[in-house]
Amino acid sequence: MTMETAERLDQRTRAALADLLLAMADDEFVLGFWDSEWTGIAPVLEEDVAFASLAQDEIGHAQALYQLLTDVQGGDPDVVAFGRRPEEYRHARLLDHPRTDWAFSVARRFLYDTADAARLDALVASAYQPLAGVVAKMRREETYHLLHMHAWMERLANGGEEPRSRLLAALERLWPDARCVLAGVDDAPLVAAGVLAEPLAAVERRWLDGLAPVLDRLGLPHPRTAPPAGGCRGPERSDDFRWLWEQFTMVYRSDPEASW
Amino acid sequence: MGGQPLQVFEVFRREREGGPMQHAGNLLAPDPELASHYAREFYGRRQESVRLWIVPRAAIRDLDDPDLLQPPFDRSFKKPAGYSTEIKRKLAEARARAGGEPGDAGDEDPVVAAGRKGVERE
Repeated sequence: MTMETAERLDQRTRAALADLLLAMADDEFVLGFWDSEWTGIAPVLEEDVAFASLAQDEIGHAQALYQLLTDVQGGDPDVVAFGRRPEEYRHARLLDHPRTDWAFSVARRFLYDTADAARLDALVASAYQPLAGVVAKMRREETYHLLHMHAWMERLANGGEEPRSRLLAALERLWPDARCVLAGVDDAPLVAAGVLAEPLAAVERRWLDGLAPVLDRLGLPHPRTAPPAGGCRGPERSDDFRWLWEQFTMVYRSDPEASW
Repeated sequence: MGGQPLQVFEVFRREREGGPMQHAGNLLAPDPELASHYAREFYGRRQESVRLWIVPRAAIRDLDDPDLLQPPFDRSFKKPAGYSTEIKRKLAEARARAGGEPGDAGDEDPVVAAGRKGVERE
Protein backbone atom coordinates (compact mmCIF):
# COMPACT_ATOMS: atom_id res chain seq x y z
CA MET A 1 0.00 0.00 0.00
CA THR A 2 1.45 3.34 -0.98
CA MET A 3 1.13 6.59 0.93
CA GLU A 4 1.49 10.24 0.05
CA THR A 5 2.13 11.37 3.65
CA ALA A 6 3.70 9.80 6.73
CA GLU A 7 0.64 10.56 8.89
CA ARG A 8 -0.63 6.97 9.12
CA LEU A 9 2.74 5.51 10.14
CA ASP A 10 3.12 4.54 13.80
CA GLN A 11 5.53 6.50 15.94
CA ARG A 12 8.50 4.11 15.68
CA THR A 13 8.19 3.77 11.90
CA ARG A 14 7.87 7.50 11.48
CA ALA A 15 10.93 8.12 13.65
CA ALA A 16 12.85 5.51 11.61
CA LEU A 17 11.77 7.18 8.36
CA ALA A 18 12.89 10.57 9.66
CA ASP A 19 16.24 9.09 10.73
CA LEU A 20 16.76 7.38 7.36
CA LEU A 21 16.06 10.66 5.55
CA LEU A 22 18.41 12.56 7.86
CA ALA A 23 21.16 9.93 7.50
CA MET A 24 20.92 9.99 3.69
CA ALA A 25 20.72 13.79 3.55
CA ASP A 26 23.74 14.19 5.84
CA ASP A 27 25.71 11.61 3.80
CA GLU A 28 25.12 13.60 0.60
CA PHE A 29 25.65 16.95 2.30
CA VAL A 30 28.97 16.12 3.98
CA LEU A 31 30.35 14.32 0.90
CA GLY A 32 29.38 17.35 -1.20
CA PHE A 33 31.36 19.65 1.08
CA TRP A 34 34.44 17.41 1.24
CA ASP A 35 34.58 16.96 -2.53
CA SER A 36 34.00 20.64 -3.23
CA GLU A 37 37.40 21.17 -1.59
CA TRP A 38 38.99 19.97 -4.86
CA THR A 39 37.79 23.14 -6.61
CA GLY A 40 40.93 24.74 -7.98
CA ILE A 41 43.33 21.92 -7.11
CA ALA A 42 42.14 18.78 -8.95
CA PRO A 43 44.67 17.00 -11.24
CA VAL A 44 43.58 18.96 -14.35
CA LEU A 45 41.26 21.90 -14.91
CA GLU A 46 38.67 19.69 -16.61
CA GLU A 47 38.52 17.31 -13.64
CA ASP A 48 38.32 20.29 -11.33
CA VAL A 49 35.11 21.49 -13.00
CA ALA A 50 33.69 17.97 -13.28
CA PHE A 51 34.37 16.98 -9.67
CA ALA A 52 33.02 20.26 -8.31
CA SER A 53 29.89 19.70 -10.39
CA LEU A 54 29.42 16.22 -8.91
CA ALA A 55 29.86 17.74 -5.44
CA GLN A 56 27.17 20.31 -6.25
CA ASP A 57 24.84 17.49 -7.35
CA GLU A 58 25.23 15.91 -3.90
CA ILE A 59 24.34 19.17 -2.19
CA GLY A 60 21.25 19.28 -4.42
CA HIS A 61 20.30 15.75 -3.36
CA ALA A 62 20.80 16.74 0.28
CA GLN A 63 18.49 19.72 -0.22
CA ALA A 64 15.73 17.47 -1.62
CA LEU A 65 16.16 14.99 1.25
CA TYR A 66 16.16 17.68 3.99
CA GLN A 67 12.93 18.95 2.44
CA LEU A 68 11.41 15.43 2.62
CA LEU A 69 12.52 15.22 6.25
CA THR A 70 10.87 18.48 7.23
CA ASP A 71 7.71 17.37 5.41
CA VAL A 72 7.65 14.40 7.81
CA GLN A 73 8.60 16.10 11.08
CA GLY A 74 8.18 19.83 10.44
CA GLY A 75 10.89 22.48 10.65
CA ASP A 76 13.04 24.34 8.17
CA PRO A 77 15.46 22.46 5.87
CA ASP A 78 18.12 25.19 6.20
CA VAL A 79 18.02 25.01 9.98
CA VAL A 80 18.37 21.21 9.83
CA ALA A 81 21.29 21.49 7.40
CA PHE A 82 23.24 24.25 9.14
CA GLY A 83 21.78 24.68 12.63
CA ARG A 84 22.99 21.51 14.36
CA ARG A 85 26.05 20.75 16.47
CA PRO A 86 28.66 18.40 14.87
CA GLU A 87 27.61 15.49 17.12
CA GLU A 88 23.99 15.77 15.90
CA TYR A 89 24.89 14.95 12.29
CA ARG A 90 23.94 11.44 11.17
CA HIS A 91 26.30 10.86 8.20
CA ALA A 92 28.23 7.58 7.98
CA ARG A 93 31.73 7.47 9.48
CA LEU A 94 33.13 7.04 5.95
CA LEU A 95 32.53 10.78 5.62
CA ASP A 96 34.46 11.73 8.74
CA HIS A 97 37.76 11.42 6.85
CA PRO A 98 39.32 14.51 5.30
CA ARG A 99 39.88 15.02 1.58
CA THR A 100 43.46 13.64 1.86
CA ASP A 101 44.93 12.95 -1.63
CA TRP A 102 43.23 12.46 -4.99
CA ALA A 103 43.29 8.64 -4.78
CA PHE A 104 41.68 8.85 -1.33
CA SER A 105 38.87 11.14 -2.51
CA VAL A 106 38.26 8.95 -5.57
CA ALA A 107 38.23 5.75 -3.47
CA ARG A 108 35.87 7.27 -0.90
CA ARG A 109 33.51 8.53 -3.58
CA PHE A 110 33.59 5.19 -5.38
CA LEU A 111 32.75 3.28 -2.19
CA TYR A 112 30.05 5.77 -1.23
CA ASP A 113 28.45 6.02 -4.69
CA THR A 114 28.28 2.25 -5.16
CA ALA A 115 26.83 1.70 -1.64
CA ASP A 116 24.38 4.57 -2.15
CA ALA A 117 23.30 3.07 -5.49
CA ALA A 118 22.40 -0.19 -3.69
CA ARG A 119 20.48 1.84 -1.09
CA LEU A 120 18.60 3.80 -3.77
CA ASP A 121 17.67 0.52 -5.50
CA ALA A 122 15.91 -0.52 -2.27
CA LEU A 123 14.00 2.78 -2.11
CA VAL A 124 12.92 3.45 -5.69
CA ALA A 125 9.71 1.43 -5.23
CA SER A 126 9.15 2.79 -1.70
CA ALA A 127 5.60 2.80 -0.41
CA TYR A 128 6.34 6.33 0.79
CA GLN A 129 5.68 8.06 -2.52
CA PRO A 130 7.51 11.36 -1.92
CA LEU A 131 10.72 9.40 -1.23
CA ALA A 132 10.26 7.13 -4.27
CA GLY A 133 9.92 10.27 -6.41
CA VAL A 134 13.12 11.91 -5.13
CA VAL A 135 15.05 8.63 -5.36
CA ALA A 136 14.03 8.15 -9.01
CA LYS A 137 15.55 11.55 -9.82
CA MET A 138 18.67 10.93 -7.73
CA ARG A 139 19.35 7.62 -9.49
CA ARG A 140 19.46 9.32 -12.89
CA GLU A 141 22.25 11.61 -11.67
CA GLU A 142 24.06 8.89 -9.76
CA THR A 143 24.34 6.92 -13.02
CA TYR A 144 26.92 9.32 -14.43
CA HIS A 145 28.57 9.79 -11.04
CA LEU A 146 29.18 6.03 -11.04
CA LEU A 147 30.54 6.07 -14.59
CA HIS A 148 32.90 8.88 -13.66
CA MET A 149 34.16 7.11 -10.54
CA HIS A 150 34.59 3.76 -12.32
CA ALA A 151 36.69 5.56 -14.94
CA TRP A 152 38.96 6.99 -12.23
CA MET A 153 39.24 3.77 -10.21
CA GLU A 154 40.42 2.03 -13.38
CA ARG A 155 42.99 4.72 -14.13
CA LEU A 156 44.38 4.76 -10.62
CA ALA A 157 44.43 0.95 -10.28
CA ASN A 158 46.19 0.52 -13.64
CA GLY A 159 48.05 3.81 -13.75
CA GLY A 160 51.44 2.68 -12.50
CA GLU A 161 53.05 2.18 -9.14
CA GLU A 162 52.36 5.46 -7.34
CA PRO A 163 48.65 5.86 -8.18
CA ARG A 164 48.05 2.19 -7.39
CA SER A 165 49.83 2.27 -4.04
CA ARG A 166 47.96 5.43 -3.03
CA LEU A 167 44.67 3.80 -4.02
CA LEU A 168 45.48 0.66 -2.03
CA ALA A 169 46.39 2.74 1.04
CA ALA A 170 43.11 4.65 0.73
CA LEU A 171 41.03 1.47 0.46
CA GLU A 172 42.83 -0.04 3.43
CA ARG A 173 41.85 2.96 5.52
CA LEU A 174 38.32 3.39 4.14
CA TRP A 175 36.91 -0.14 3.93
CA PRO A 176 35.80 -0.54 7.57
CA ASP A 177 34.03 2.83 7.63
CA ALA A 178 32.55 2.34 4.14
CA ARG A 179 30.43 -0.42 5.64
CA CYS A 180 28.76 2.21 7.83
CA VAL A 181 26.90 3.64 4.81
CA LEU A 182 24.44 0.73 4.95
CA ALA A 183 24.16 0.60 8.74
CA GLY A 184 23.08 2.60 11.74
CA VAL A 185 19.40 3.05 10.86
CA ASP A 186 16.43 1.25 12.49
CA ASP A 187 15.45 -0.58 9.29
CA ALA A 188 13.01 -3.28 10.55
CA PRO A 189 9.89 -1.05 10.81
CA LEU A 190 10.75 0.54 7.46
CA VAL A 191 10.84 -2.88 5.77
CA ALA A 192 7.57 -3.85 7.49
CA ALA A 193 5.89 -0.67 6.23
CA GLY A 194 7.21 -1.14 2.67
CA VAL A 195 9.25 2.08 2.86
CA LEU A 196 12.44 0.05 2.33
CA ALA A 197 12.36 -3.03 0.06
CA GLU A 198 14.77 -5.14 2.12
CA PRO A 199 16.81 -4.96 5.35
CA LEU A 200 20.01 -2.92 5.15
CA ALA A 201 22.06 -6.10 5.71
CA ALA A 202 20.60 -7.47 2.46
CA VAL A 203 21.28 -4.17 0.70
CA GLU A 204 24.89 -4.42 1.87
CA ARG A 205 25.22 -8.00 0.55
CA ARG A 206 23.89 -6.83 -2.81
CA TRP A 207 26.38 -3.93 -2.78
CA LEU A 208 29.37 -6.17 -1.99
CA ASP A 209 28.28 -8.87 -4.47
CA GLY A 210 28.06 -6.23 -7.19
CA LEU A 211 31.45 -4.78 -6.27
CA ALA A 212 33.31 -8.13 -6.16
CA PRO A 213 33.84 -8.59 -9.93
CA VAL A 214 34.96 -4.93 -10.28
CA LEU A 215 37.49 -5.29 -7.46
CA ASP A 216 38.71 -8.61 -8.88
CA ARG A 217 39.16 -7.16 -12.34
CA LEU A 218 41.20 -4.27 -10.93
CA GLY A 219 43.08 -6.53 -8.49
CA LEU A 220 41.87 -4.51 -5.49
CA PRO A 221 41.16 -5.84 -1.98
CA HIS A 222 37.72 -6.85 -0.73
CA PRO A 223 36.65 -5.69 2.73
CA ARG A 224 38.34 -7.86 5.34
CA THR A 225 36.72 -6.63 8.52
CA ALA A 226 33.13 -6.75 9.68
CA PRO A 227 31.31 -3.43 9.89
CA PRO A 228 31.95 -1.59 13.18
CA ALA A 229 29.61 -2.65 15.96
CA GLY A 230 28.53 0.87 16.92
CA GLY A 231 29.17 4.51 16.28
CA CYS A 232 28.61 4.18 12.54
CA ARG A 233 26.62 7.41 12.41
CA GLY A 234 27.87 9.42 15.38
CA PRO A 235 27.62 10.90 17.93
CA GLU A 236 31.45 10.72 18.19
CA ARG A 237 32.96 12.74 15.36
CA SER A 238 36.51 13.17 14.08
CA ASP A 239 38.41 16.43 14.44
CA ASP A 240 38.45 16.55 10.63
CA PHE A 241 34.67 16.61 10.49
CA ARG A 242 34.56 19.24 13.24
CA TRP A 243 36.87 21.39 11.11
CA LEU A 244 34.64 20.90 8.04
CA TRP A 245 31.56 21.72 10.14
CA GLU A 246 33.22 24.99 11.24
CA GLN A 247 33.73 25.80 7.56
CA PHE A 248 30.31 24.97 6.19
CA THR A 249 28.32 26.50 9.04
CA MET A 250 30.48 29.63 9.37
CA VAL A 251 28.24 31.94 7.36
CA TYR A 252 25.03 30.53 8.86
CA ARG A 253 26.34 30.89 12.44
CA SER A 254 27.36 34.49 11.81
CA ASP A 255 23.65 35.39 11.64
CA PRO A 256 21.16 32.49 11.94
CA GLU A 257 18.20 34.88 11.54
CA ALA A 258 19.37 36.33 8.22
CA SER A 259 17.18 35.62 5.22
CA TRP A 260 19.03 34.75 2.01
CA MET B 1 47.91 11.87 -14.95
CA GLY B 2 50.06 8.78 -15.07
CA GLY B 3 52.19 10.42 -17.75
CA GLN B 4 49.40 9.97 -20.27
CA PRO B 5 49.48 12.96 -22.63
CA LEU B 6 46.39 15.14 -22.75
CA GLN B 7 44.68 15.56 -26.12
CA VAL B 8 42.37 18.29 -27.33
CA PHE B 9 38.76 17.30 -27.99
CA GLU B 10 36.37 19.59 -29.87
CA VAL B 11 32.80 19.50 -28.56
CA PHE B 12 29.64 20.14 -30.56
CA ARG B 13 26.24 20.48 -28.97
CA ARG B 14 22.57 20.44 -29.96
CA GLU B 15 20.53 22.82 -27.89
CA ARG B 16 17.09 21.36 -28.65
CA GLU B 17 15.61 18.52 -30.69
CA GLY B 18 15.70 19.35 -34.38
CA GLY B 19 18.38 22.02 -33.95
CA PRO B 20 21.79 21.93 -35.62
CA MET B 21 24.97 20.60 -34.00
CA GLN B 22 27.02 23.69 -33.24
CA HIS B 23 30.57 24.08 -32.05
CA ALA B 24 30.55 24.55 -28.26
CA GLY B 25 34.26 24.70 -27.44
CA ASN B 26 37.07 22.34 -26.59
CA LEU B 27 38.71 20.61 -23.67
CA LEU B 28 41.75 18.56 -22.69
CA ALA B 29 41.44 14.93 -21.64
CA PRO B 30 43.73 11.89 -21.57
CA ASP B 31 41.25 9.68 -23.46
CA PRO B 32 37.78 9.66 -25.08
CA GLU B 33 36.04 8.28 -21.97
CA LEU B 34 37.11 11.09 -19.66
CA ALA B 35 36.59 13.53 -22.54
CA SER B 36 32.92 12.47 -22.59
CA HIS B 37 32.59 13.03 -18.84
CA TYR B 38 34.22 16.44 -19.08
CA ALA B 39 32.12 17.45 -22.12
CA ARG B 40 29.03 16.56 -20.14
CA GLU B 41 30.12 18.74 -17.23
CA PHE B 42 31.24 21.64 -19.45
CA TYR B 43 28.41 21.73 -21.98
CA GLY B 44 25.55 19.76 -20.44
CA ARG B 45 25.47 20.18 -16.68
CA ARG B 46 22.93 23.01 -16.81
CA GLN B 47 20.58 21.02 -19.08
CA GLU B 48 21.62 23.26 -21.98
CA SER B 49 22.17 20.40 -24.46
CA VAL B 50 20.22 17.40 -25.72
CA ARG B 51 23.18 15.87 -27.61
CA LEU B 52 26.95 16.26 -27.64
CA TRP B 53 29.56 15.18 -30.19
CA ILE B 54 33.06 14.78 -28.76
CA VAL B 55 35.69 14.71 -31.52
CA PRO B 56 39.45 14.35 -31.10
CA ARG B 57 40.95 17.40 -32.77
CA ALA B 58 43.44 15.05 -34.46
CA ALA B 59 40.50 13.49 -36.38
CA ILE B 60 39.56 16.83 -37.95
CA ARG B 61 40.77 17.52 -41.52
CA ASP B 62 41.82 21.13 -41.58
CA LEU B 63 41.42 23.13 -44.79
CA ASP B 64 42.44 26.78 -44.98
CA ASP B 65 44.24 27.05 -48.37
CA PRO B 66 43.23 30.43 -49.92
CA ASP B 67 43.55 29.03 -53.46
CA LEU B 68 40.82 26.54 -52.57
CA LEU B 69 38.64 28.73 -50.41
CA GLN B 70 39.19 32.29 -51.68
CA PRO B 71 39.83 32.02 -55.48
CA PRO B 72 40.72 35.33 -57.15
CA PHE B 73 37.92 35.61 -59.74
CA ASP B 74 34.54 37.14 -59.04
CA ARG B 75 32.24 34.43 -57.69
CA SER B 76 29.27 36.65 -56.91
CA PHE B 77 27.20 34.83 -59.53
CA LYS B 78 27.41 31.77 -57.28
CA LYS B 79 25.77 33.63 -54.40
CA PRO B 80 22.01 33.86 -54.24
CA ALA B 81 22.34 37.47 -53.07
CA GLY B 82 24.80 38.30 -55.86
CA TYR B 83 22.38 36.91 -58.42
CA SER B 84 19.40 38.93 -57.15
CA THR B 85 21.54 42.09 -57.05
CA GLU B 86 22.25 41.56 -60.72
CA ILE B 87 18.54 41.08 -61.45
CA LYS B 88 17.73 44.23 -59.50
CA ARG B 89 20.17 46.23 -61.62
CA LYS B 90 18.78 44.84 -64.88
CA LEU B 91 15.20 45.50 -63.76
CA ALA B 92 16.03 49.08 -62.88
CA GLU B 93 17.51 49.56 -66.36
CA ALA B 94 14.49 47.97 -68.02
CA ARG B 95 12.14 50.18 -66.03
CA ALA B 96 14.09 53.26 -67.02
CA ARG B 97 13.85 52.24 -70.68
CA ALA B 98 10.08 51.67 -70.35
CA GLY B 99 9.65 55.06 -68.67
CA GLY B 100 8.22 53.61 -65.46
CA GLU B 101 8.58 55.50 -62.21
CA PRO B 102 11.85 54.50 -60.68
CA GLY B 103 11.67 53.12 -57.23
CA ASP B 104 7.96 52.21 -57.35
CA ALA B 105 8.82 48.69 -56.40
CA GLY B 106 10.67 49.99 -53.37
CA ASP B 107 12.52 47.31 -51.52
CA GLU B 108 10.28 44.59 -52.84
CA ASP B 109 11.99 41.38 -53.88
CA PRO B 110 12.83 41.94 -57.58
CA VAL B 111 11.64 38.53 -58.67
CA VAL B 112 8.27 39.02 -56.97
CA ALA B 113 8.08 42.54 -58.33
CA ALA B 114 8.77 41.32 -61.90
CA GLY B 115 6.01 38.73 -61.55
CA ARG B 116 3.56 41.31 -60.22
CA LYS B 117 4.31 43.70 -63.07
CA GLY B 118 3.74 40.87 -65.58
CA VAL B 119 0.32 40.18 -64.04
CA GLU B 120 -0.62 43.87 -64.05
CA ARG B 121 0.22 44.17 -67.75
CA GLU B 122 -2.14 41.32 -68.72
